Amino acid sequence: MTDVKGRGDPAASQRAAALPGLRSDEGATREGRAAKAARRRAAETESTIPVELYGLRRGTVTLLTTLAFLFAIFTLVPIAWIVINSTKTQANIFETFGFWFARPFSFFHNFSLLFQNVDGYGTYIQWFGNTALYAVLGGAGATALSAFAGYGFARFSFRGSKVLFYLTIAALLVPITALTLPLYLTYAKAHLINSLWGMVLPSMISPVGIYLMRVYVDISVPRELIDAARLDGAGETRIFFRVALPLMVPGFMTVLLISVVAVWNNYFLPLLIFNINTRYPLTVGLGLWSERAQNSGNAQLFPMVVIGGLVTIIPLIALFLILQRYWRGGLLLGSIAN
Amino acid sequence: MFTGRRGRSAWIQRRDRRGIWFVVPFLVGFVLFMIVPLGYAIYTSLYTSKIIGGTVFSGASNYTQTLQSSQFWSGVVRVIIYACIQIPVMLVIAFFFATVFDLGVAKFGRTFRTIFFIPFAVPAVVGAVMWSFLLEPQFGPMVHLANAFGFSGTNFFSPSLILPSIIVIVIWEWTGYNMVILYTALKSVPRDVVEAAILDDTPLWRIIVRIKLPLVRPAIVMLVFLNTIGALQLFTEPLILSYFETGSVSANYTPTLYLYNTAIAADQTNLAAAGAVILGLVIVAISTASLLFRRRRGEFS
Repeated sequence: MTDVKGRGDPAASQRAAALPGLRSDEGATREGRAAKAARRRAAETESTIPVELYGLRRGTVTLLTTLAFLFAIFTLVPIAWIVINSTKTQANIFETFGFWFARPFSFFHNFSLLFQNVDGYGTYIQWFGNTALYAVLGGAGATALSAFAGYGFARFSFRGSKVLFYLTIAALLVPITALTLPLYLTYAKAHLINSLWGMVLPSMISPVGIYLMRVYVDISVPRELIDAARLDGAGETRIFFRVALPLMVPGFMTVLLISVVAVWNNYFLPLLIFNINTRYPLTVGLGLWSERAQNSGNAQLFPMVVIGGLVTIIPLIALFLILQRYWRGGLLLGSIAN
Repeated sequence: MFTGRRGRSAWIQRRDRRGIWFVVPFLVGFVLFMIVPLGYAIYTSLYTSKIIGGTVFSGASNYTQTLQSSQFWSGVVRVIIYACIQIPVMLVIAFFFATVFDLGVAKFGRTFRTIFFIPFAVPAVVGAVMWSFLLEPQFGPMVHLANAFGFSGTNFFSPSLILPSIIVIVIWEWTGYNMVILYTALKSVPRDVVEAAILDDTPLWRIIVRIKLPLVRPAIVMLVFLNTIGALQLFTEPLILSYFETGSVSANYTPTLYLYNTAIAADQTNLAAAGAVILGLVIVAISTASLLFRRRRGEFS
C-alpha cells in the first residue's frame, strides 16, 4: 500500500469528498477490495493537511525523519541481534562482534537442536506445539465468548445486564497478578496443576474482548436490522449467526488477534501452574533455559535460547504484518470508546 | 404494527430476557475462573499452615505480617518510582511520534509506524532475554558501545543501573503500542479546526499544544491508567534479568516477584494469598482514585 500522506493527490480528495462516512468503512463487508483500499487511501489524504501549509522551517522534515529513523534503529537493534546470533556457535555469540556474522555458520545446527531434548530440560518443538494449542484454543474461545457476550450486552437489556457489564469492566481494574495467584492456589487445591484446561479456560475470559465487541456491535449492527429479521420470524440464534456475525467480522478478527497474542505471550500463569516441562509453553521454556544456561553451567543452551527466541517471535510478527488493518482498526475502537 | 403499548413492551421484555443466554457462557467462566479463585484466596489468606497443628484460622495475621513486611513495601515503593519515570518518558516519545506521523511532517510515516509496533508482538520473556544479551556486562555489545563512547567500566546490571535498564526494555516493548493508540486518536481530530487555525497563522507548536493535545486527552488519560496498572505489576523483565545477573534483583524486587517467591519458593501460600489481596486492593484503589479524580475534573466521560 502506498503512502500518500502529504502529497495532496487531488483525485483522491475528490473521491473522499464524494464518499461521506469514510470512517465506518470497516463495517461494509460487501465491497470490493480495491474500492476499499482506494477509500482508505482517500481517507488518509483527506485527513492530512499538505505539509507546505504548516509554514515549517526548511530541514524540519529531514530532522523529524531522522529522529524517527533513529527510533526505528533502537526498535530493530534487538531483532537484528537475534537474527544474526541465531547463526552463531555458543563461543561466537560471546566472543565475536554482536552485530555481524561469524564463521562457522551454525544456523541449521542450532535449529536442529530445537527438536532435541538437550540436558533434559525439555524439547523446544514440544513447547511450540503447546503454545500453539493454548493460543488457538484460548484465543478462539475468548473470541467466541466475547462475541456472544458483547452482542448480548449491546443489543438486549435483560434484568441485571447493566450491573453485569459494569462488573465485567471492573474486572479490568483488577491486576492480573491478583487474579493469577489465586487461580494457582485454587488449582493446587482442585488438582488442576499441569492441566491443559487449567491454562486454556481462564484464557477464554477476556473482559477487554467483551468491551471491544460491545463497542463494535453498537457501531456496526443496526437495531432495525435485527428487528426486521425478528419480524421475518428468525430465531435469536439464527439472527446472531446469519445477520449480526457477518457485520461483526472486523471486530471479531481484532479480538481474535488480541486474544491469541495474549495467550502466546502469557508468562505468569503458565509459570505458576505447570511444573513438568512437557506442558510448558515457549515463554516458560525459554525462561527456564536462560536460567539454566547462566546458573547451572549448561552453557550449550545459550545458542538454543537465541534461536528459540527468534522462532518464537517470527509467527507473531508475521501475523501482525499480515493482519495490519485489524489491529489498526481495533486499537481505534479502544481509543474512541473513551 | 403492534396492538398497543402493553403488547409491544411485553414483546420487548420477553425478547430481551432471552438475551441473557448470549452472556451466560461468559458468566459461567467469569465466576469459575475469577470470582471463585478470588474468594478462595481471601478464604485461604485467613488461615496459617503450621508444621505442627496443621492449618489453623489466624484471622488477619497474614495481612498484618504483609503490611509490616519491609520486603513487601520496598517493592511497592520501587514500582511506584519506576512508574513515575517510565510512563512519562514513554508517553512523551509516543505522543511526539504520533503527532509527527499524524501531521505527516516526516517521510515514510506508514513504514515507521509498522516498525515501531513490532515489539508489541514480541513476548516480554523474549524481549527481556534479547536485551539481557545486549546489556550483559562482560560480552554485551552495548557495553562495548559504552566503552567506545568513553564510559569505560559501565555495568548495566549494577544495582544503580538495573532499574534504568528495565525502563529502557519496557520503553522498547510498549512505546509503539501507545504511539498507535495516540495516532488513531489524533486522526479523529476534525480537520477544519486545524485548517482554521492555520488560516489564522497559528504556529504549528501552538496547534499541537492548544488544539490537538486537549482533544486527545481522554486517550492519554486511558493510557496513563493502563500503563500504571501494568507498571505496578512489573515482573517478567526483572525476573529474566535476575537470571543473567543474580545480584541486583532481589527476591522481593517488585511486589509481584515478592508474591511469586513467597508462594512458590518459600511455599507460604497463605501469606502470598494475603499479599495478592493487598496488592489487588492497592492497585484498584489507585486506579479508582484516578478515575474519580478525572471524573470530578470532567475529563473522563
